[in-house]
Amino acid sequence: MGHSYSVRICHWVNVIASGYLLVSGVHILLDFPELYWGDTGYRGYPAIFRLSDWGLSWEAAGALGDRRWGRNYHVTFAWVFLLNGLVYVGWNLYTTHFRKRMLPARDELTMSHVRTELRDHVRWRSRRHASRGDYGTLQKTSYLLLIFVFVPFMILTGVAQSPGYTAAMPVLLDLFGGRQSARTLHTLGTVLFVLFVAVHLLEIAAAGFVNRVRSMITGKDSRPVERGAITP
Amino acid sequence: MSTRISRRTWLTGVPVLGGLFTTGCSRETFIPPHVRGGLIGAADVLTMSTNRLLLSGQQLAREYSASDVADPFPTWNQTNPKNPEYQQHLSEGFRNWRLPISGLVARPVALSLDEIKSLAARTQITAHVCEQGWSAIGEWTGAPLKRVLEAAGGVTPAARYVVIDTYDRWYEGYDLFEVEHPQTILAYGLNGRDLPTGNGAPLRLRVERQCGYKNLKFLKSIRVVDSMSGIGKGTGGINSDIGFHWFAGV
Repeated sequence: MGHSYSVRICHWVNVIASGYLLVSGVHILLDFPELYWGDTGYRGYPAIFRLSDWGLSWEAAGALGDRRWGRNYHVTFAWVFLLNGLVYVGWNLYTTHFRKRMLPARDELTMSHVRTELRDHVRWRSRRHASRGDYGTLQKTSYLLLIFVFVPFMILTGVAQSPGYTAAMPVLLDLFGGRQSARTLHTLGTVLFVLFVAVHLLEIAAAGFVNRVRSMITGKDSRPVERGAITP
Repeated sequence: MSTRISRRTWLTGVPVLGGLFTTGCSRETFIPPHVRGGLIGAADVLTMSTNRLLLSGQQLAREYSASDVADPFPTWNQTNPKNPEYQQHLSEGFRNWRLPISGLVARPVALSLDEIKSLAARTQITAHVCEQGWSAIGEWTGAPLKRVLEAAGGVTPAARYVVIDTYDRWYEGYDLFEVEHPQTILAYGLNGRDLPTGNGAPLRLRVERQCGYKNLKFLKSIRVVDSMSGIGKGTGGINSDIGFHWFAGV
Protein backbone atom coordinates (compact mmCIF):
# COMPACT_ATOMS: atom_id res chain seq x y z
CA MET A 1 0.00 0.00 0.00
CA GLY A 2 1.57 3.30 -1.07
CA HIS A 3 1.35 6.71 0.56
CA SER A 4 -1.51 8.96 -0.50
CA TYR A 5 -0.95 12.42 -2.00
CA SER A 6 -1.91 14.22 1.19
CA VAL A 7 0.44 12.13 3.31
CA ARG A 8 3.33 12.70 0.91
CA ILE A 9 2.85 16.45 0.50
CA CYS A 10 2.32 17.00 4.22
CA HIS A 11 5.33 14.84 5.02
CA TRP A 12 7.74 16.90 2.94
CA VAL A 13 6.29 20.24 3.99
CA ASN A 14 6.73 18.97 7.52
CA VAL A 15 10.35 18.02 6.86
CA ILE A 16 11.10 21.57 5.71
CA ALA A 17 9.16 23.21 8.53
CA SER A 18 10.65 20.95 11.22
CA GLY A 19 14.14 21.54 9.85
CA TYR A 20 13.73 25.30 10.06
CA LEU A 21 12.10 25.02 13.50
CA LEU A 22 14.99 22.94 14.80
CA VAL A 23 17.77 25.17 13.47
CA SER A 24 16.05 28.43 14.40
CA GLY A 25 15.16 27.02 17.82
CA VAL A 26 18.81 26.20 18.46
CA HIS A 27 19.69 29.78 17.45
CA ILE A 28 17.20 31.17 19.97
CA LEU A 29 18.48 28.90 22.73
CA LEU A 30 22.12 29.78 22.02
CA ASP A 31 21.28 33.42 22.55
CA PHE A 32 20.31 32.67 26.16
CA PRO A 33 21.90 29.31 26.90
CA GLU A 34 20.41 28.60 30.33
CA LEU A 35 17.23 26.82 31.43
CA TYR A 36 15.16 27.38 34.57
CA TRP A 37 12.08 26.02 36.30
CA GLY A 38 8.98 28.00 37.30
CA ASP A 39 7.93 31.52 36.30
CA THR A 40 11.27 33.22 36.70
CA GLY A 41 14.66 32.80 35.08
CA TYR A 42 17.39 35.30 34.26
CA ARG A 43 21.15 35.46 34.23
CA GLY A 44 22.20 35.02 37.84
CA TYR A 45 19.03 33.19 38.89
CA PRO A 46 19.50 29.51 39.89
CA ALA A 47 19.47 27.57 36.62
CA ILE A 48 18.78 23.88 36.09
CA PHE A 49 20.90 23.79 32.95
CA ARG A 50 23.79 25.97 31.81
CA LEU A 51 25.52 25.44 28.51
CA SER A 52 28.65 26.92 30.11
CA ASP A 53 28.81 23.84 32.36
CA TRP A 54 29.20 21.83 29.17
CA GLY A 55 32.16 23.78 27.86
CA LEU A 56 30.48 26.45 25.74
CA SER A 57 30.73 29.89 27.35
CA TRP A 58 27.88 32.39 27.25
CA GLU A 59 29.80 34.61 24.84
CA ALA A 60 30.78 31.74 22.54
CA ALA A 61 27.16 30.50 22.46
CA GLY A 62 25.91 34.03 21.77
CA ALA A 63 28.32 34.36 18.87
CA LEU A 64 26.92 31.16 17.33
CA GLY A 65 23.25 32.09 17.66
CA ASP A 66 21.37 34.85 15.87
CA ARG A 67 18.10 35.47 17.67
CA ARG A 68 16.76 37.89 15.11
CA TRP A 69 17.06 35.26 12.36
CA GLY A 70 15.99 32.58 14.83
CA ARG A 71 12.84 34.31 16.06
CA ASN A 72 11.70 35.33 12.57
CA TYR A 73 12.04 31.83 11.15
CA HIS A 74 10.85 30.01 14.26
CA VAL A 75 7.55 31.87 14.29
CA THR A 76 7.15 31.67 10.51
CA PHE A 77 7.72 27.93 10.32
CA ALA A 78 5.67 27.32 13.45
CA TRP A 79 2.75 28.63 11.40
CA VAL A 80 3.71 26.49 8.40
CA PHE A 81 4.06 23.47 10.69
CA LEU A 82 0.74 24.13 12.42
CA LEU A 83 -1.31 24.75 9.27
CA ASN A 84 0.30 21.78 7.50
CA GLY A 85 -0.40 19.61 10.56
CA LEU A 86 -4.03 20.72 10.69
CA VAL A 87 -4.47 19.88 6.99
CA TYR A 88 -2.81 16.50 7.54
CA VAL A 89 -4.83 15.57 10.62
CA GLY A 90 -8.07 16.96 9.23
CA TRP A 91 -7.72 15.23 5.89
CA ASN A 92 -6.70 11.88 7.34
CA LEU A 93 -9.45 11.90 9.92
CA TYR A 94 -11.85 12.58 7.05
CA THR A 95 -10.46 9.77 4.88
CA THR A 96 -10.26 7.47 7.95
CA HIS A 97 -6.54 6.96 7.22
CA PHE A 98 -5.77 7.09 10.92
CA ARG A 99 -8.41 4.52 11.85
CA LYS A 100 -7.65 2.16 8.98
CA ARG A 101 -3.87 2.26 8.90
CA MET A 102 -2.60 3.72 12.14
CA LEU A 103 -4.89 2.59 14.94
CA PRO A 104 -3.59 -0.75 16.26
CA ALA A 105 -6.19 -3.52 16.16
CA ARG A 106 -7.20 -5.22 19.41
CA ASP A 107 -5.16 -8.36 18.74
CA GLU A 108 -2.12 -6.23 17.90
CA LEU A 109 -2.14 -4.82 21.40
CA THR A 110 -1.75 -8.13 23.23
CA MET A 111 1.43 -8.50 25.28
CA SER A 112 2.62 -11.48 23.28
CA HIS A 113 2.20 -9.70 19.96
CA VAL A 114 4.02 -6.60 21.15
CA ARG A 115 6.74 -8.73 22.72
CA THR A 116 7.31 -10.68 19.50
CA GLU A 117 7.42 -7.50 17.46
CA LEU A 118 9.78 -5.83 19.87
CA ARG A 119 12.10 -8.85 19.90
CA ASP A 120 12.17 -9.07 16.11
CA HIS A 121 12.67 -5.35 15.92
CA VAL A 122 15.77 -5.16 18.10
CA ARG A 123 17.20 -8.16 16.22
CA TRP A 124 16.68 -6.31 12.91
CA ARG A 125 14.45 -9.12 11.70
CA SER A 126 11.41 -8.70 9.51
CA ARG A 127 8.09 -9.07 11.20
CA ARG A 128 6.97 -12.66 11.49
CA HIS A 129 3.53 -11.67 12.56
CA ALA A 130 2.90 -8.88 10.12
CA SER A 131 0.40 -6.35 11.40
CA ARG A 132 -2.51 -5.21 9.33
CA GLY A 133 -1.55 -2.71 6.66
CA ASP A 134 2.00 -1.52 6.26
CA TYR A 135 2.78 -0.48 9.79
CA GLY A 136 3.82 -2.53 12.80
CA THR A 137 2.18 -2.02 16.16
CA LEU A 138 5.23 -0.23 17.55
CA GLN A 139 5.27 2.01 14.54
CA LYS A 140 1.57 2.78 14.71
CA THR A 141 1.87 3.57 18.39
CA SER A 142 4.89 5.83 17.93
CA TYR A 143 3.29 7.76 15.07
CA LEU A 144 0.04 8.24 16.97
CA LEU A 145 1.92 9.38 20.08
CA LEU A 146 4.01 11.71 17.95
CA ILE A 147 1.04 13.28 16.18
CA PHE A 148 -1.48 13.46 19.00
CA VAL A 149 0.67 13.82 22.12
CA PHE A 150 4.13 15.11 21.24
CA VAL A 151 3.20 17.71 18.61
CA PRO A 152 0.46 19.32 20.77
CA PHE A 153 2.93 19.29 23.66
CA MET A 154 5.53 21.16 21.59
CA ILE A 155 2.97 23.67 20.30
CA LEU A 156 1.62 24.35 23.78
CA THR A 157 5.03 24.64 25.48
CA GLY A 158 6.02 26.99 22.66
CA VAL A 159 2.93 29.19 22.95
CA ALA A 160 3.24 29.17 26.77
CA GLN A 161 6.39 31.30 26.34
CA SER A 162 4.53 34.02 24.46
CA PRO A 163 3.44 37.07 26.48
CA GLY A 164 0.57 37.73 24.05
CA TYR A 165 -1.00 34.29 23.88
CA THR A 166 -0.56 33.67 27.61
CA ALA A 167 -2.41 36.91 28.36
CA ALA A 168 -5.31 35.46 26.37
CA MET A 169 -4.89 31.93 27.76
CA PRO A 170 -3.22 32.09 31.21
CA VAL A 171 -4.02 28.40 31.69
CA LEU A 172 -0.98 27.71 29.50
CA LEU A 173 1.22 29.02 32.31
CA ASP A 174 -0.43 26.74 34.88
CA LEU A 175 -0.31 23.73 32.59
CA PHE A 176 3.49 23.60 32.63
CA GLY A 177 4.22 25.28 35.96
CA GLY A 178 5.38 28.60 34.56
CA ARG A 179 6.89 30.26 31.53
CA GLN A 180 10.45 29.07 32.23
CA SER A 181 9.28 25.50 32.86
CA ALA A 182 7.55 25.62 29.47
CA ARG A 183 10.80 26.82 27.88
CA THR A 184 12.73 23.98 29.54
CA LEU A 185 10.15 21.36 28.49
CA HIS A 186 10.15 22.78 24.95
CA THR A 187 13.93 22.32 24.83
CA LEU A 188 13.66 18.81 26.26
CA GLY A 189 11.05 18.06 23.61
CA THR A 190 13.52 19.23 20.96
CA VAL A 191 16.00 16.62 22.19
CA LEU A 192 13.28 13.95 21.96
CA PHE A 193 12.46 15.15 18.46
CA VAL A 194 16.08 14.82 17.36
CA LEU A 195 16.12 11.28 18.80
CA PHE A 196 12.91 10.47 16.94
CA VAL A 197 14.38 11.70 13.66
CA ALA A 198 17.55 9.66 14.28
CA VAL A 199 15.53 6.47 14.88
CA HIS A 200 13.24 7.28 11.94
CA LEU A 201 16.24 7.66 9.59
CA LEU A 202 17.83 4.50 10.99
CA GLU A 203 14.64 2.55 10.29
CA ILE A 204 14.48 3.93 6.76
CA ALA A 205 18.08 2.86 6.24
CA ALA A 206 17.22 -0.60 7.53
CA ALA A 207 14.22 -0.88 5.21
CA GLY A 208 16.16 0.34 2.17
CA PHE A 209 16.76 4.07 2.12
CA VAL A 210 16.32 4.74 -1.61
CA ASN A 211 13.18 2.65 -1.88
CA ARG A 212 11.52 4.20 1.16
CA VAL A 213 12.35 7.80 0.18
CA ARG A 214 11.13 7.11 -3.36
CA SER A 215 7.90 5.72 -1.98
CA MET A 216 7.36 8.88 0.10
CA ILE A 217 7.91 10.96 -3.04
CA THR A 218 6.09 8.97 -5.73
CA GLY A 219 3.64 7.04 -3.57
CA LYS A 220 4.64 3.80 -5.29
CA ASP A 221 5.87 0.92 -3.20
CA SER A 222 8.13 -1.48 -5.07
CA ARG A 223 8.67 -3.65 -2.00
CA PRO A 224 6.85 -6.99 -1.62
CA VAL A 225 3.80 -6.30 0.52
CA GLU A 226 3.18 -9.58 2.29
CA ARG A 227 6.40 -9.91 4.28
CA GLY A 228 8.00 -6.49 4.54
CA ALA A 229 11.07 -5.59 6.47
CA ILE A 230 10.73 -3.05 9.24
CA THR A 231 8.98 -0.21 7.50
CA PRO A 232 9.27 3.36 8.62
CA MET B 1 5.44 50.01 -3.75
CA SER B 2 2.37 48.84 -5.63
CA THR B 3 3.14 45.18 -4.88
CA ARG B 4 3.36 45.94 -1.20
CA ILE B 5 -0.05 47.56 -1.19
CA SER B 6 -1.65 44.71 -3.08
CA ARG B 7 -0.12 42.14 -0.75
CA ARG B 8 -1.30 44.11 2.23
CA THR B 9 -4.74 44.51 0.79
CA TRP B 10 -4.91 40.79 0.20
CA LEU B 11 -3.66 39.94 3.69
CA THR B 12 -6.08 42.43 5.20
CA GLY B 13 -9.00 40.28 4.17
CA VAL B 14 -8.63 37.47 6.67
CA PRO B 15 -8.36 39.28 9.98
CA VAL B 16 -10.77 42.02 9.00
CA LEU B 17 -13.56 39.43 9.02
CA GLY B 18 -12.81 38.94 12.68
CA GLY B 19 -12.48 42.65 13.20
CA LEU B 20 -16.07 43.15 12.18
CA PHE B 21 -17.10 41.52 15.42
CA THR B 22 -14.93 43.65 17.65
CA THR B 23 -16.13 47.18 17.98
CA GLY B 24 -13.71 50.05 17.86
CA CYS B 25 -10.96 47.96 16.31
CA SER B 26 -9.40 49.17 13.12
CA ARG B 27 -7.07 47.62 10.58
CA GLU B 28 -4.12 48.75 12.69
CA THR B 29 -5.29 46.40 15.42
CA PHE B 30 -4.64 43.33 13.29
CA ILE B 31 -1.88 44.20 10.85
CA PRO B 32 1.58 45.64 11.49
CA PRO B 33 2.18 49.13 10.05
CA HIS B 34 4.57 47.64 7.51
CA VAL B 35 4.11 44.07 6.29
CA ARG B 36 7.32 42.32 5.35
CA GLY B 37 7.52 40.27 2.18
CA GLY B 38 7.13 36.54 1.75
CA LEU B 39 6.26 33.91 4.31
CA ILE B 40 7.67 35.95 7.19
CA GLY B 41 5.23 38.78 6.46
CA ALA B 42 2.30 36.38 6.21
CA ALA B 43 3.32 34.85 9.54
CA ASP B 44 3.57 38.34 11.10
CA VAL B 45 -0.01 39.06 10.07
CA LEU B 46 -1.23 35.67 11.33
CA THR B 47 0.52 36.14 14.66
CA MET B 48 -0.77 39.64 15.25
CA SER B 49 -4.33 39.05 14.04
CA THR B 50 -4.85 35.80 15.96
CA ASN B 51 -3.35 37.36 19.05
CA ARG B 52 -5.60 40.39 18.82
CA LEU B 53 -8.69 38.31 18.15
CA LEU B 54 -7.95 36.23 21.25
CA LEU B 55 -7.35 39.42 23.22
CA SER B 56 -10.33 41.33 21.86
CA GLY B 57 -11.72 41.53 25.40
CA GLN B 58 -8.54 43.43 26.41
CA GLN B 59 -7.78 40.76 29.01
CA LEU B 60 -5.04 41.54 31.49
CA ALA B 61 -1.72 39.74 31.41
CA ARG B 62 -1.29 37.57 34.50
CA GLU B 63 -0.59 39.48 37.69
CA TYR B 64 1.49 37.70 40.33
CA SER B 65 1.82 38.04 44.08
CA ALA B 66 4.41 40.07 45.96
CA SER B 67 6.37 36.94 46.87
CA ASP B 68 7.11 36.28 43.17
CA VAL B 69 8.93 39.58 42.70
CA ALA B 70 12.59 39.62 41.66
CA ASP B 71 14.36 42.16 43.86
CA PRO B 72 16.75 43.54 42.76
CA PHE B 73 15.18 43.33 39.33
CA PRO B 74 17.67 42.23 36.64
CA THR B 75 19.12 44.88 34.35
CA TRP B 76 19.82 44.19 30.70
CA ASN B 77 21.24 45.93 27.61
CA GLN B 78 21.35 49.71 28.06
CA THR B 79 21.59 50.54 31.75
CA ASN B 80 22.82 54.15 31.66
CA PRO B 81 22.60 56.12 28.38
CA LYS B 82 25.68 58.25 27.67
CA ASN B 83 23.51 60.95 26.13
CA PRO B 84 24.67 64.24 27.82
CA GLU B 85 21.10 65.50 28.07
CA TYR B 86 20.16 62.33 29.94
CA GLN B 87 23.20 62.60 32.20
CA GLN B 88 22.24 66.18 33.01
CA HIS B 89 18.70 65.14 34.03
CA LEU B 90 20.07 62.20 36.01
CA SER B 91 22.45 64.45 37.95
CA GLU B 92 19.54 66.81 38.72
CA GLY B 93 17.34 63.97 39.96
CA PHE B 94 15.05 64.55 36.93
CA ARG B 95 13.72 67.80 38.44
CA ASN B 96 13.93 69.57 35.09
CA TRP B 97 13.01 66.55 32.99
CA ARG B 98 9.80 66.94 30.97
CA LEU B 99 7.86 64.51 28.81
CA PRO B 100 6.60 66.38 25.73
CA ILE B 101 3.41 64.97 24.23
CA SER B 102 2.92 66.24 20.70
CA GLY B 103 1.28 65.40 17.41
CA LEU B 104 -2.35 64.38 17.10
CA VAL B 105 -3.50 65.37 20.57
CA ALA B 106 -5.95 68.10 21.50
CA ARG B 107 -3.50 70.11 23.68
CA PRO B 108 0.21 69.32 23.29
CA VAL B 109 1.89 69.54 26.70
CA ALA B 110 5.14 68.72 28.44
CA LEU B 111 4.58 66.93 31.75
CA SER B 112 6.97 66.88 34.67
CA LEU B 113 7.60 63.70 36.62
CA ASP B 114 5.51 65.05 39.50
CA GLU B 115 2.63 65.81 37.14
CA ILE B 116 2.77 62.24 35.82
CA LYS B 117 2.88 60.92 39.37
CA SER B 118 -0.18 63.00 40.26
CA LEU B 119 -2.29 61.10 37.70
CA ALA B 120 -4.30 58.11 38.93
CA ALA B 121 -1.66 55.40 39.29
CA ARG B 122 -1.75 51.69 38.61
CA THR B 123 0.43 49.11 40.32
CA GLN B 124 0.83 45.71 38.70
CA ILE B 125 3.00 42.69 39.47
CA THR B 126 3.77 41.25 36.07
CA ALA B 127 6.39 39.25 34.21
CA HIS B 128 8.89 40.99 31.98
CA VAL B 129 9.35 38.53 29.11
CA CYS B 130 12.54 39.12 27.19
CA GLU B 131 12.67 37.94 23.60
CA GLN B 132 15.98 36.29 24.41
CA GLY B 133 14.26 33.85 26.73
CA TRP B 134 14.58 35.20 30.25
CA SER B 135 11.70 36.43 32.36
CA ALA B 136 11.43 38.13 35.73
CA ILE B 137 8.52 39.42 37.78
CA GLY B 138 8.43 42.98 39.02
CA GLU B 139 5.98 45.28 40.77
CA TRP B 140 5.51 48.24 38.45
CA THR B 141 3.83 51.49 39.44
CA GLY B 142 2.95 54.10 36.89
CA ALA B 143 0.38 56.17 35.07
CA PRO B 144 -1.69 54.42 32.40
CA LEU B 145 -0.60 55.73 28.99
CA LYS B 146 -4.25 56.43 28.23
CA ARG B 147 -4.45 58.81 31.21
CA VAL B 148 -1.22 60.52 30.18
CA LEU B 149 -2.63 61.15 26.71
CA GLU B 150 -5.84 62.44 28.27
CA ALA B 151 -3.70 64.96 30.17
CA ALA B 152 -2.88 66.27 26.69
CA GLY B 153 -6.56 66.47 25.85
CA GLY B 154 -6.72 63.00 24.32
CA VAL B 155 -5.88 61.84 20.82
CA THR B 156 -7.66 63.22 17.76
CA PRO B 157 -9.78 60.99 15.49
CA ALA B 158 -6.96 60.76 12.91
CA ALA B 159 -4.56 59.21 15.47
CA ARG B 160 -3.41 55.66 14.72
CA TYR B 161 -0.08 55.14 16.48
CA VAL B 162 1.70 56.45 19.54
CA VAL B 163 5.44 56.82 19.01
CA ILE B 164 7.76 56.82 22.00
CA ASP B 165 11.33 58.15 21.78
CA THR B 166 14.02 57.43 24.33
CA TYR B 167 17.32 58.90 25.48
CA ASP B 168 19.23 55.92 24.11
CA ARG B 169 17.88 56.85 20.66
CA TRP B 170 15.40 53.99 20.59
CA TYR B 171 11.90 54.52 19.28
CA GLU B 172 8.82 52.34 18.90
CA GLY B 173 5.28 52.72 17.58
CA TYR B 174 2.23 51.29 19.34
CA ASP B 175 -1.24 50.91 17.91
CA LEU B 176 -4.16 52.34 19.88
CA PHE B 177 -5.39 48.88 20.96
CA GLU B 178 -2.13 48.45 22.89
CA VAL B 179 -2.18 52.04 24.12
CA GLU B 180 -5.68 51.76 25.57
CA HIS B 181 -4.97 48.58 27.54
CA PRO B 182 -5.22 49.15 31.32
CA GLN B 183 -1.81 47.56 31.92
CA THR B 184 -0.06 49.79 29.40
CA ILE B 185 1.56 52.17 31.85
CA LEU B 186 4.43 54.62 32.03
CA ALA B 187 6.16 53.23 35.07
CA TYR B 188 8.13 55.41 37.50
CA GLY B 189 8.19 52.86 40.32
CA LEU B 190 9.64 49.36 40.57
CA ASN B 191 9.25 47.09 43.60
CA GLY B 192 7.98 49.95 45.76
CA ARG B 193 10.87 52.34 45.03
CA ASP B 194 11.68 54.90 42.33
CA LEU B 195 12.54 53.23 39.04
CA PRO B 196 16.32 52.59 39.15
CA THR B 197 18.56 53.99 36.43
CA GLY B 198 19.44 50.49 35.26
CA ASN B 199 15.75 49.75 34.63
CA GLY B 200 15.02 52.92 32.69
CA ALA B 201 14.69 55.94 35.04
CA PRO B 202 12.87 58.20 35.23
CA LEU B 203 10.10 56.58 33.20
CA ARG B 204 9.71 53.40 31.18
CA LEU B 205 6.89 51.86 29.22
CA ARG B 206 5.20 48.62 30.27
CA VAL B 207 3.32 46.74 27.54
CA GLU B 208 2.72 43.49 29.38
CA ARG B 209 1.44 41.50 26.42
CA GLN B 210 4.55 42.04 24.33
CA CYS B 211 8.19 41.04 24.63
CA GLY B 212 10.88 42.98 26.43
CA TYR B 213 12.10 45.00 23.48
CA LYS B 214 8.76 46.81 23.18
CA ASN B 215 9.02 47.91 26.83
CA LEU B 216 11.14 51.00 26.22
CA LYS B 217 13.30 52.54 28.94
CA PHE B 218 14.58 56.12 29.48
CA LEU B 219 11.55 57.82 27.89
CA LYS B 220 12.19 61.14 26.22
CA SER B 221 9.03 62.11 24.37
CA ILE B 222 5.70 60.95 23.00
CA ARG B 223 4.29 61.70 19.55
CA VAL B 224 0.85 60.72 18.30
CA VAL B 225 0.75 60.09 14.54
CA ASP B 226 -1.58 58.87 11.83
CA SER B 227 1.04 56.70 10.12
CA MET B 228 4.43 55.20 10.85
CA SER B 229 5.76 55.86 7.36
CA GLY B 230 8.51 58.46 7.32
CA ILE B 231 9.56 57.67 10.89
CA GLY B 232 12.89 55.81 10.98
CA LYS B 233 12.81 53.30 8.17
CA GLY B 234 9.04 53.35 8.23
CA THR B 235 8.54 49.85 9.62
CA GLY B 236 6.96 51.10 12.83
CA GLY B 237 9.82 50.96 15.29
CA ILE B 238 13.56 50.58 15.67
CA ASN B 239 13.30 46.87 16.43
CA SER B 240 11.46 46.17 13.22
CA ASP B 241 13.84 48.56 11.41
CA ILE B 242 16.64 46.16 12.35
CA GLY B 243 14.63 43.03 11.53
CA PHE B 244 12.67 41.92 14.61
CA HIS B 245 8.91 41.43 14.70
CA TRP B 246 7.06 44.72 15.00
CA PHE B 247 4.32 42.97 16.93
CA ALA B 248 6.17 41.27 19.76
CA GLY B 249 3.36 39.22 21.28
CA VAL B 250 5.42 36.08 20.68
